[in-house]
Amino acid sequence: MGIMKFIPKVLDPVPGGKSMVNAVDFIVNWARSNSLWPLTYGTSCCAIEMMATSMSRYDISRFGSEVFRASPRQADLIILAGTIVEKMAEPLVTLYEQMPGPKYVIAMGACAVSGGPFYYDNYSVVKGADRLIPVDVYIPGCPPRPEALLQGLMLLQEKIKKETLRNPWTEEDINTSPITNPFGDALQAWKHSETRKDEEQADARAKFKEENPDYQGYKHVRVKREVFPEVPLAEIPAKGLTKAQLFTAISKKFDQVGVHGLEEISPEAIEEHNPLEALNLTVPKTDYYDLINFLKSEAGLDFDYLFDMLSIDWKENFEMVVQMQSLRHKHKIIIRTILEKDEDAAADEVQAKLPTLSRVFRAAEWKEREIYDMMGISFEGHPDLRRLFLDDDFVGFPLRKDFTSDAMIPRGY
Amino acid sequence: MNSLCNTQLPPGFKRRSIDSETEEFFINLGPQHPSTHGVLRLVLRLDGETVKEVVPHFGYIHRGIEKQAESQTYLQYIHLSDRFDYLTSHINNLGVCLAIEKAMNIGVPERAEYIRVIVNELQRISSHLVFFGSFGADMGALSVFLYAFKERELISQIFDELSGARLTMNFFRPGGSFDDVPDTFIPRVKDFIKKLRPAMKEYHRLFTGNIVFLERSKDIGILTQQQALDSGCSGPVARASGIDYDLRRDEPYSIYSEFDFGVPVRNNGDVYDRYMVRMEEMEESLKIIEQAVAKFPEGPYRSKTRPAYRLPTGTWTSVVESAKGQLGTFIVAEKGDKPYRIHTRSPSLANLSMLNEMCMDYKLADVVAILASLDPVIPEIDR
Repeated sequence: MGIMKFIPKVLDPVPGGKSMVNAVDFIVNWARSNSLWPLTYGTSCCAIEMMATSMSRYDISRFGSEVFRASPRQADLIILAGTIVEKMAEPLVTLYEQMPGPKYVIAMGACAVSGGPFYYDNYSVVKGADRLIPVDVYIPGCPPRPEALLQGLMLLQEKIKKETLRNPWTEEDINTSPITNPFGDALQAWKHSETRKDEEQADARAKFKEENPDYQGYKHVRVKREVFPEVPLAEIPAKGLTKAQLFTAISKKFDQVGVHGLEEISPEAIEEHNPLEALNLTVPKTDYYDLINFLKSEAGLDFDYLFDMLSIDWKENFEMVVQMQSLRHKHKIIIRTILEKDEDAAADEVQAKLPTLSRVFRAAEWKEREIYDMMGISFEGHPDLRRLFLDDDFVGFPLRKDFTSDAMIPRGY
Repeated sequence: MNSLCNTQLPPGFKRRSIDSETEEFFINLGPQHPSTHGVLRLVLRLDGETVKEVVPHFGYIHRGIEKQAESQTYLQYIHLSDRFDYLTSHINNLGVCLAIEKAMNIGVPERAEYIRVIVNELQRISSHLVFFGSFGADMGALSVFLYAFKERELISQIFDELSGARLTMNFFRPGGSFDDVPDTFIPRVKDFIKKLRPAMKEYHRLFTGNIVFLERSKDIGILTQQQALDSGCSGPVARASGIDYDLRRDEPYSIYSEFDFGVPVRNNGDVYDRYMVRMEEMEESLKIIEQAVAKFPEGPYRSKTRPAYRLPTGTWTSVVESAKGQLGTFIVAEKGDKPYRIHTRSPSLANLSMLNEMCMDYKLADVVAILASLDPVIPEIDR
């Protein structure tokens, strides 16, 4: 672009030079708008629609944009397909900086436009990509249809065709770029068009009445409300050992176990209590590790598969939930342990501790990291206890009930 | 690219032994990389081109869905569940609905069950077609992508007519679905079955017999049965390692028990087996759809609606067989119409957890093939 920007300065004063500049503008813009090379950047759902747009049926190559580039250094368009979260913000800005100018940005989908479905009560989603990099075209939708993406691309092409060498594309300083308010402008335009539409309709109605003085109007018909039947819930027969058998086998070795929500324990009561769910076994913190080891190794029980681990914050204490199942016998169990909160620890510190299960089940390793990340429960003897999802310098543990963050906007209802 | 420093390893690396004769180094793959299926980030420790250790990093699409769900009603949560694993939205919806149905004792009429089964199996095929396409693209055969999306568009069109959306459908409700199927539904599904059968043969002619593909996939990235069991793998990944377990057959939810279908199982646990298991699963899904379409009943498409969906206090769980594996929903209900805590068991997270062992001592190019064969969806891991 070095020499190009002098062309208008030299040619504009010359008689007939203006039309020559216009001709150069036309050729440059025509070439540029019909060979937009997008970066393959997709974070979530919208990326699938972006892929669908570039594939057989919608065929984005009709608009010269089929050359999806894997490197930002070869791309001049970035389609922000999907949610952008705080952790992704820095890589995104780096990618944008690495692209050679002139470069364009399409914000595809509600998340990239404004945060979309993740706007309220959310601590990690960036509420609109234009807070990070300047955006040229916004495409609403969750996700937008391929036709909408194609329309967005055509709008961008129109925008490029209006560029001129007299005022060439310059890179905005992304750190100081103002956060524009597209919604406010759009709202004004929409209100204006609504009032105009109302006026036009009133005129049309008056004209129709003049022309058809005998017109009676139509009668409202009430649509019959659909009636749905009451259907009983189909039961899935449980397989393997019954709940009572499981409990007896376990309580022989561990005498402190109980059943969640059941005070007087008898085989019949266990079977009748909450019959659709698996056995909810409560176990004191001291027996937690031994019990899971026992369940895995004991012949006849064979809980060989760690299905899931999670924790619940009950305000006064935490509860650890481990779901296990036996693929051989096909029975299931849920083990629940209450953990007292450490009163001295602050809200952004670890407040409870448990022995790790990662030596018993490999599957526990990442699940315990997730619990540490989200709930702030530490696991003693864990080989690699780091945050799994959030940045290392994130303050607080989001799934605790007392978690607060400036980024969270509460929904007003 | 950093040269290896004895005292300081990047976070997550465990092995300290270093071959002193050659220089080992680290490279970063992602979070923005076309073959990491979204925004997975891998840090690899390489000796020349040989992979010595892999450390995955997550969280580049962590949207805090579990926290957000605590301030939304149960029915509003169904639409959030679309967005974990956007390739299997219908199946995620079903998982949430099953838990709510169990808690509130809501039954499902027969026609609604048939709709659920047909739509779920279409969704599974659609997800496996995306796997097939992206797997081919990652192996360097981009034309496979074009072929896979050709048939996938037919499914998208069926879903479009069904619910108005192509990807995030939000179609199922506790007790059935939010609307009846359109008249065009059954003819279109029949037409789709007619088209996919020859297309499957075409896929195999195009890709499966290819010598380059076979060389790059056989005996690569082996996951043993014990490893798969220990790390909680499920779905096609576990079945390719010889774990003969499919929820649809072993703990049939909905009305899967009424259909006759096979569960493809293979024993090598390599990239080729994981690919073949998915391809065979697509044919089994077609069989289910065929049977369901043949006896598609008349009747109501949902049971009686409730004035409010307030779950009784307690914990309610459900598991469904998603295209990736066992997708579990765990709801803790307290007073009110909002959940106290909702947790989703992500099959992709468990399937990825043996990545380090699977990639060890293979070449860098094989990492991409192994990762593609696991078919992870990152938003489902990060939630």
